[in-house]
Parts: sequence; structure tokens; C-alpha cells
Amino acid sequence: MTRTLTQLMNERVVLLDGGMGTQIFAKGPTIEDYGSKELEGCVELLNLNRKEWIQEIHQRYFEAGADAVETNTFGCTPIGLGEFGIADRAFELNVAAARLAREVADSYDEPRFVIGSVGPGTKLVTLGHTTYEAMLDSYRVQMAGLLEGGADAILIETCQDLGQIKVAVRAARGAMAQAGKRIPLWVQGTVETTGTLLVGTDITSVLHSLEQLGIDVLGLNCATGPDEMAAHLQALSEASPFAISCLPNAGLPRNEGGQVVYPLGPEAFADKVAHAAAHHGLAIVGGCCGTNPDHIRAMAPKVKNLAAPRRTPFLERSATSLYQSVALRQEPAPTIVGERTNANGSKAFRDLLAQEDWDGLVEIAKGQQKEGAHLLDVCVAYVGRDEVRDMDLYLSKLVTQVQLPLMIDSTEVPVIEKALQRAPGKCIVNSINFEDGEAKARKILDLCKTYGASIVALTIDEEGMAKTLERKLAIAERLVNLVVGEYGFAPGDLLIDPLTFTLGSGDEEFRGSAVATLDALAAIRDRWPGVNTILGVSNVSFGLTPAARHTLNALMLYHAVQHGLELAIFNASKVIPVAAIEPEDRKIIEDLLFDRRSEGYDPLKEVLARFSNRKAEAKADRRVGLPLDDRLKLDIIEGEKRQVVADVEEALAAGADPLRLINEVLLDGMKTVGERFGSGEMQLPFVLESAEAMKAAIARIEPELPKEGSAAKGRILLATVRGDVHDIGKNLVDIILSNNGFEVKNLGIKQPMDSILKAHEDWKADAIGLSGLLVKSTVIMRENLQLLEEQGFDVPVILGGAALTRAYVEQDCRKVYGGPVFYAEDAFEGLRLMQRIAAGGDISTAPTDAAAPAIQVLHRGDRAVALTTSGQSTWVRRDEPIPAPPFWGVKELSPSPEELYAFLDEFVVLRQRWGYAQGTQDDATFQAVLKDKAEPELLRWKARLQAENLVTPRARYAYLPVNADGDDLVVFDPVSPDRELKRITLPRQALGRRLSIADFFAPLSSGTRDLLALQLVTLGHEAAAHAQALYKADAYSDYYHFHGLATELTEAAAEWLHARIRRELGIHAKDAKDLRTLFSQGYQGSRYSFGYPACPDMEGNAFIQELLQGDAIGVHLTESFQMDPEYSTSALVAWHPQARYFSI
Amino acid sequence: MSAVKVHFLLDDLLVQAPLGTSLQEIAEAAGADLTFGCRTGSCGTCRVRITEGLAHCSAPNAEEREFLAALKVPADQRLACQVRVNGDVAVDYIGL
Repeated sequence: MTRTLTQLMNERVVLLDGGMGTQIFAKGPTIEDYGSKELEGCVELLNLNRKEWIQEIHQRYFEAGADAVETNTFGCTPIGLGEFGIADRAFELNVAAARLAREVADSYDEPRFVIGSVGPGTKLVTLGHTTYEAMLDSYRVQMAGLLEGGADAILIETCQDLGQIKVAVRAARGAMAQAGKRIPLWVQGTVETTGTLLVGTDITSVLHSLEQLGIDVLGLNCATGPDEMAAHLQALSEASPFAISCLPNAGLPRNEGGQVVYPLGPEAFADKVAHAAAHHGLAIVGGCCGTNPDHIRAMAPKVKNLAAPRRTPFLERSATSLYQSVALRQEPAPTIVGERTNANGSKAFRDLLAQEDWDGLVEIAKGQQKEGAHLLDVCVAYVGRDEVRDMDLYLSKLVTQVQLPLMIDSTEVPVIEKALQRAPGKCIVNSINFEDGEAKARKILDLCKTYGASIVALTIDEEGMAKTLERKLAIAERLVNLVVGEYGFAPGDLLIDPLTFTLGSGDEEFRGSAVATLDALAAIRDRWPGVNTILGVSNVSFGLTPAARHTLNALMLYHAVQHGLELAIFNASKVIPVAAIEPEDRKIIEDLLFDRRSEGYDPLKEVLARFSNRKAEAKADRRVGLPLDDRLKLDIIEGEKRQVVADVEEALAAGADPLRLINEVLLDGMKTVGERFGSGEMQLPFVLESAEAMKAAIARIEPELPKEGSAAKGRILLATVRGDVHDIGKNLVDIILSNNGFEVKNLGIKQPMDSILKAHEDWKADAIGLSGLLVKSTVIMRENLQLLEEQGFDVPVILGGAALTRAYVEQDCRKVYGGPVFYAEDAFEGLRLMQRIAAGGDISTAPTDAAAPAIQVLHRGDRAVALTTSGQSTWVRRDEPIPAPPFWGVKELSPSPEELYAFLDEFVVLRQRWGYAQGTQDDATFQAVLKDKAEPELLRWKARLQAENLVTPRARYAYLPVNADGDDLVVFDPVSPDRELKRITLPRQALGRRLSIADFFAPLSSGTRDLLALQLVTLGHEAAAHAQALYKADAYSDYYHFHGLATELTEAAAEWLHARIRRELGIHAKDAKDLRTLFSQGYQGSRYSFGYPACPDMEGNAFIQELLQGDAIGVHLTESFQMDPEYSTSALVAWHPQARYFSI
Repeated sequence: MSAVKVHFLLDDLLVQAPLGTSLQEIAEAAGADLTFGCRTGSCGTCRVRITEGLAHCSAPNAEEREFLAALKVPADQRLACQVRVNGDVAVDYIGL
């Protein structure tokens, strides 16, 4: 019984052949074989000239166990053959190739199959190397030839360009329609080590874009080996409705003495592919470059007994661009469609279009991207201009320069078609309706099916625009029946727009229109839950003043989302978070929205009156009507530095008591600040602004205070302990305490106990505060307490620092000191403690009992790997090829801040260093804080750093010969390689993998020198000096922000230099494309800084310092081996692929 | 007061601790092979897979959710320094 290919695929995994190219070249084709010098290299000609060679190769693969072979037609298109001057022979050669393979296949008893191979060609249509039409015509010829020659399936393979895939698929469909034959259509993309196709598309985006095109297989081939394909195969396995094929190379090729070598032999390759087939549910496997019949022979017994896979894939409805997929439903809703790349809606856009400033038009799109739009609505309709041409020219630039998927906004079918040809991702077409019946809608839906796109549909029919709920639903039903029912679109690919009318005209007809729209949204959501809804929100406020528009748009959007709206077309930068709208404003706007008119009350009149004089961004004038005391408190809470001074003037002029102002009014404001910080409502950056306002207020009041006695509630002496340079925490305590009525003497960093004691004797503090970052400092604090005890002191001591724990302070530290000892987790706990101390009363503390060991180990395994005879962990592979450095010795660099910005972790700067955490704020409020305050602040600071030379980045790095000697790393002199320069002993894990950093380098016994890279970066003394200057000038916010940015920039400098080292060593192929993954060790090798878990002893810094001569760039080590200035860091750099962070 | 059991798979370590203790404290007290970095949820060094008892871990805050989402990892992965343990769990250390 003859089985078809499809039937075979339904039963079991199908085995394809391996590489063809090497097999052909092994035959040594000469100019004779090609026919002439001009034709040399055109392997497709061998189908005619050396038919027996090609048949022999096919036969070898069939004998090895392949179910199917690919025809020798990889470049066999008119365009491809045109390079050899024989474009006109394309059809003939395709037929010949398919036929000769057919002959071989038919010579077997069991069914064997011929797969028509269609290669990507040498031209990238997405980049404009050829036109859509030219490529379509070219592929049509090839497809026709393959069909004629008897191919069982068409395989569009080794694809690099999403645009080309769509053209080839369309050509195949056309050729099949013409020949009256339908055979399976397979597509395979080539995903590079970057994780995308050559033009930048990841495999999931490829899947979305092709989903509606009804192909049969979507898989991968070439570029990488089976291991590298795992992630992409997994993605397809989870999401693709199409069968998955996988034809990897025999591993990632290596350069061995000038030869390209593919590392995976037949058995290893077969094992990996079989495993992948079972694990990911593959339907078809085979091999690509580097594989030969032996590989297929090894695979046959391992894969042909695997049953056809059964998967339950899920693909989320998305739109895609060349570069990314964006889910149509975003969390939180709505998905934002930017509206400024629209000639109908934006004057700026229209003007640039009229001038044909395509680059300017692309800038507008990029701006929308920055503002947070998820998709872009593109409309170039301009009366008098050629819309098709404009769309063509604009998209040819937009598609490659902008990440966002596009919504093609046009009423003209030719314009839509041109756009869909230019934008190869999965776009959204805006829109269809039934205004003139169904004919045009059907044409547009045909386009969507041909090119692959979702569709926006408006509730408009032959009677006009639907204004009532009933009419909207009736048209919606008609739309669903057409688009989902008849055309077979997935429900989520239909986006219904139930229309938004303006409430600004007062027109009776439209008074209830918003209610009807909102009800329609909810009804559509309930009745067709898979279908999406979309609105052009700003239409609701057309005709009103800007201030009214912003508020009405915000509330319409809010309620629409509550009623189920998924997508909205609006200007992301102009919407106010609902939580920020004044309650009175909100009421009248919502009354307008929901048409809550009553006797003598028309919300529209109220809106017009209230908003007519208001400027768009006017702040709520809550202060009007508030008593002065409350205003002052509000000024502190909101960090109003200038306003508070004005209000203080007013209070003083009215005869207020200065002391009372500080102690009862302003401090009460700070108390609220402390409470909100504690509850997570207010974040540190805002706390600092309040502190600055407080400082400004006090500075104004101070001259008015009575000379005798101080306003201070108490005195505290602050110091960072000996050997520790970290003082941001201590300085924050200074800021908070001094602005809450305490007098603070800040001694600074690296304070030995003698200095602290001397200062205390001179000044008589009510408490001493000790801080420090390092673990070592916790021990020093305890020693300091012992000293205090010996010298007979009993002053209260407050301890703070990242490495401290409450238990350590309350148990261990209290044991050695008789006076009160407290642990303060943050500045506000320090404040509360000072307030208690100042209040008098009993503050004695006793050491708490160490609780019965609450954490108990119940069972511990004792697995530990063996060590080699050289004393290294056997877990580390020893056969990795050692890279060659571009030079030996030390080199110095001076990067600009901009170079470092590329590696700056902005998430950490904003959310951790600067403290803009979400806390208890809701998403909308928090997003507004990030967008309106935090992000612009970062931009400003980055610009300032450069413009004012606030940092002077410098770096030194070295490549040195090295060997491991047991636990030691031994560095040799590059000039005389047998001379030992320096050695360092590194710690080793006692259990588990028993790792030491030294294991990542070849042992002495290997007889070869390995390579150690070292790096040291600094932002210079200038940076440290600037931070100090800001602090001394009481510019708290600036100080805090600068310090946070500089600290992260130091990390960025380390990443930058490490990236450079990887590039120079040629191991950068594994570098992650996105920063977050890069920062999470998304690269080969690892850098190790002393003080961190793999090498905790900071003394190691001396090793690096001496080899790199850190003083040459102004870096010194303190007596506790920390680097000075603070914004410096150094590391050992290992290149070994297994090197990762670990702890001793 | 109830106790929870935490099984660290990498070194086959079973630890008992009071309900609600932070996973970081448990790992460090027991000497588990789990490397911590910044301890504030910003570096990813302590990334773990919760192979059992995911529901017994305290819910992640917005920062941790966003951090892990950017790495596109499955929902059973957490940053150990951010987790409090409210029931028995099994933990596999992934790291960076």
C-alpha cells in the first residue's frame, strides 16, 4: 500500500537527508562538469551535466535510511541563476533535479519521497535588495519546475528574511493553484547564534507572521547544532500549530588550523537529535552542514521508531514587526496604539510628509516607541499625494528602524496591499466596515489572508454609523460571522471598534453615545470572549479645551478598560493617571460621560466652565482654603522647596512662633513622610525631596530663633568605622535626623575609635551612631563597643549597616557593652530610636537570648566530585581551546561616559539605587511616577555627567600567561614566560563541585600556558569629589542620585571592559543581545571580584592592584584592601565556558 | 508555631525552619550551595527554581516580577533573596 508523505508523518517521525554541498564537492567538479568558466560553481547545472553524481548522492542517503531527500535546487531561481547568465534555464533545471530524485526514490519498494528545496537566494527583499514582484516572479518559476518534476513537498529553507518567506509561500501557492496540484508546504528558518534570523526576527515572531498562511511545517535548519536550537524548538513546541522539522549542523563549526571543522560525529549528532525529537515533539529530522550519510545512518534506528508527536500548542494572539512580537492583549490593559504617525491626526506628521522628510517621519515613530506605545497606527493619506508611493517609501525605512508592529491605517486597497508587502511581520489592518456593502471588506480580508494580518472592523453598515447598543451589536454579529465564521480568522485576530463620538458638542444625538459604546464593549466581551475590542479614545473629547480633553480621555479610557476594552489608539504621553484627577473634576466629567443630567444640571456646562481657563498641566490648587499650618505640612510632604519658604515667610509675618513652627508644624509633616515611607506608599527619592524642603524651611526660620538654647532635641555623633569607605547610609541618617530636629556631627568614613571618642568628649553627644557596609566592619563595631566598655563609657550606641543583623547586635554586641546598644535597619528606625533616647526614661538594653536554633539541618548529602591528580575539580572540562590574546601585558583606556551608558542597568538605577519601588502604589500611579519623574531624571543626570565632566572613567586591563598549581594561580612574565611574576592562593569549595577559580585555567602539568585577563575600572577621584561637594552643599537629592548613578556606572564600566575582552579573545559569540540577560552572565566566561562569594577575601585586590599598577590611574587600596576612590572595581576574568559565579 | 521543611536539591540538604523565615536566611544558616549577590532582587545571582511548593512561597513584588519577566523565565523561578517560606518547598539552584 503506498503511503503518502502526509500519512507517514501521521504515523512516525520522518527522516530527511544530510548535507549535499560537501558530497558534491567531494566529487571534485571541474570546469568541464559545469560546462564553461562562466558557469563554474553553479551546482544546479550538475543536475543535467552530471546526473549520475546527484543520483548517487541521493541513493547513499536513501541507503543510510532517509525517508526523503532534498533536490539539488538550493539556488535554482531565475534571480540566482542570473548570476551565471542562465536565468532562462531555471524551470528546466528544477524539473530535471526533481525528476532525477524521483527516479531514485521510485526504485525502492517502500515509499521514499522527494522534497523540492527552495533556498533563500542572495537578495534580502526586506532590505530592498530586490522588489517584491521580482522575487515573486522568480520563485514562481522554481515552484512550477519542482511541481512539474514530481516533488512530494516544497521546502522553503535556510530562510534569513521574513519578507522572503512570505513571497516564497505565495509563489508556491500560486504555482500549486496553476498546476491544479496541492502538495505539503514546509518552511525552515535559520536562527543564528544571536537568537534571530539574519534580519532580526525571532522564531516566535516568524510563527505569528506565517500562522494564517496555512503552511504544513515550520522548523529550523543550519547555522547551529542541535544544542543551540533547543530554546527555539521549545518555543515552537509550545506554540506552533504546524509540524516541526529540525535539520541542524553537526555542531557549531570551529576553526582548526584554517579548516572549518564541525565537531559532532554521527553517533553524538544522532543522540542529540533523537533526544530533541522526543523532547520537543519534532515531526521531521535530518542534518545540514557538516553531516553526511553516516550521520543519517546513525540517526535512522534512533528516530524512525519515534511515534508522530502529539502536542497541544497555544499561540497568543499577537502582532509582529521584523524584530518582535507584541501580544494584542497586554497586562495591564489597554494595549496602546500610538496615534502620532498619522497624517490625519497629527499636524507635525502631515508637515513632514509634505516635505518628504522620511527620516523625520521615522523619528516621530521612534518617539512613540519611547513613550510606551505597543503598536503604531500608520496613515499617510494626504489629499493630492500618491498614497501608495508614500506608504511604500515610508515603510521601507520604518520597517527596519522601528521595533513596533504596525497598524496599517488606510481606506484604499492598493495602499494596504503595498504596506503588507513592505512590512513582513504580522500587521493589523485598520479597517473594514459595511458602509458600501461587503465587497470592499471582502477584498481587504482576502489581503489579510494572503499576507497574514489581523483586522480592525468598525460598527458601520449601509445605514451609517451605529449609535445605539442594539445596532452596534447587530453589526458586530455580522462582522463575527464574516471574519471568524466565513473567513476562518481566529477570534482574537478580529478587533471590533464600536465607535466613539464626541461628547463635546452637546448634540442631543450623542449625549448617550459613550454609554452605548461602553455597554457595547462589555456585551462584545461577554458574547464573544475571544474577540478583541479597540477604540480611538480621543474622539470622545473632540471640541473641548486641552485640559478637559486630557481628563475626559483618561476617564473614558479607564471606564472602557473596566468594560473590557483591550486596545486603544491614543497618545501615551498625554494621559493623566486616574488617581491624580481631582475628585470634583472627576465627578463632573463622569457625569458628562454617563449623561447624568438632571433638573438644572448639565455636566457639559460645568465642564466648559471649570476647564475653560485652566492650563493643561495645571496642578490641583488644593491649597486654596487650607489653613497655613496644613499648607506648610503639605509643602513638606510634597517636597515643595520653594513654596515652603514662601509659606514660612507668610507664617512669620503673621506672627507665628518660630519654635512652634518647627517642632509642631514642620516636624509633623516629616512624621507623615516617615510613616508613608514605612508603609511603602512613599519612596526614598521623594523622602529626600521632603528633607530638602525641611532644610530650606529651617534655614529661613533659623535667624528668627531665640539665641539661648537650641531647637535641637538631641545630639548624635555619626561615623563609618575604620577601614570602611561606604557612607551613603550614614549620610542618609544625617539628612533624616538633622531635618527632624536633631543636631548631627558627621565625622565621615574610616573613623578609628580614638577619633570617635575624642569627638564625643569634646561635643558630648547623646548617642553615637556607627555604620559600615562590610562584613569586617561588623566585627570592628563589636571591638569598638569593647573599647567603650573598657574606657568606662555608657553612652547609647546605635549600629547600622548592610551586613549587620538584628540578632548579631542584640545578642553578641550587647554582651560586650554595658550601655544601651540598638540595631537600626534604616534611617527612620534610627530616628525613632533617637526620639526615644531624647525623651529620657529607661532605655537600658540587655542581650537577648539566642533563640533555640530555629533553623535546623535535618539531613545533608555528602556528594562531592573527585579532584584530578593536579588537584583540580573533575567537573571542569580540560579540553577547551585556549584563546589567543591580541597582546600580552597591560593596556590603559579612557572610555567616554556614553560608551559606558550602553551597559548601564537602568532598572537597578531607578528601582533599587534611587529607590523608585512600587511599594503599595497601584500600577497606573507607579507608571506615571516612572514616566514623569524617574526616567526624565535619569536622562538629565546622564546628560549632566557628560556635559559637566562629573566622572572621569579610566581603565587598565591585561592579558597574562598563567597556570594553575593546585589551588594557586601562578602568573608568568609575558616577556620571559618561565619567570613566575606572582601567585595567589584561591579558596576551594569543600563539597559539591569542589570548585576553585584556579580550576578554570590549565594546570602546570599540562605543559601549556593558559591565559588570564585582569581588569580595573574607575570613575576617578573627580567623581568622588563631586559626590562630597553635593553632600556638603546640602543638595541631598542630587547627592543621592549622583551616588546611585555613579555606583551603577562603575558596574557598567566593568561590563563594558569585560565585553571588550571577550571580543578581543573572540569568545563574544555567546553574548546575549538584550541587557538584562547580558547582566545575568549572558556571555561566555566569568569575571570574579574579590569580596564576592567565589573569592571572599578582599586581600586578593592587592594581587590585581600590583599586576595592573592601579596607581597609574589613581586607584589605591585602603588598609582593609578596598579600592579608593569608591567608584572603582577590579576583577579576574576567566574565558572558560564553564566559568560561572559560585560560592565557597 | 509551625515549621517548614526546605529541600535544597543541589546538595541534597533538608532543612527545618520556622514558618515565614526568609529563604536567604535558611540557605545561609544551613550552608546550602546557593550564591547570593546583591540581596536586593537586582542581580539575579540567587535565581532558583522552586520544584515543589511554589504556592508556599511569598508572592513576588512588582520589582521581582519585572526582573524575571525580562529574562523570560517560567513562573516557577524566583529570586531566593526575595522569598519567604510559608510551607514545605524544594529548591533547585540555577544562578545566573
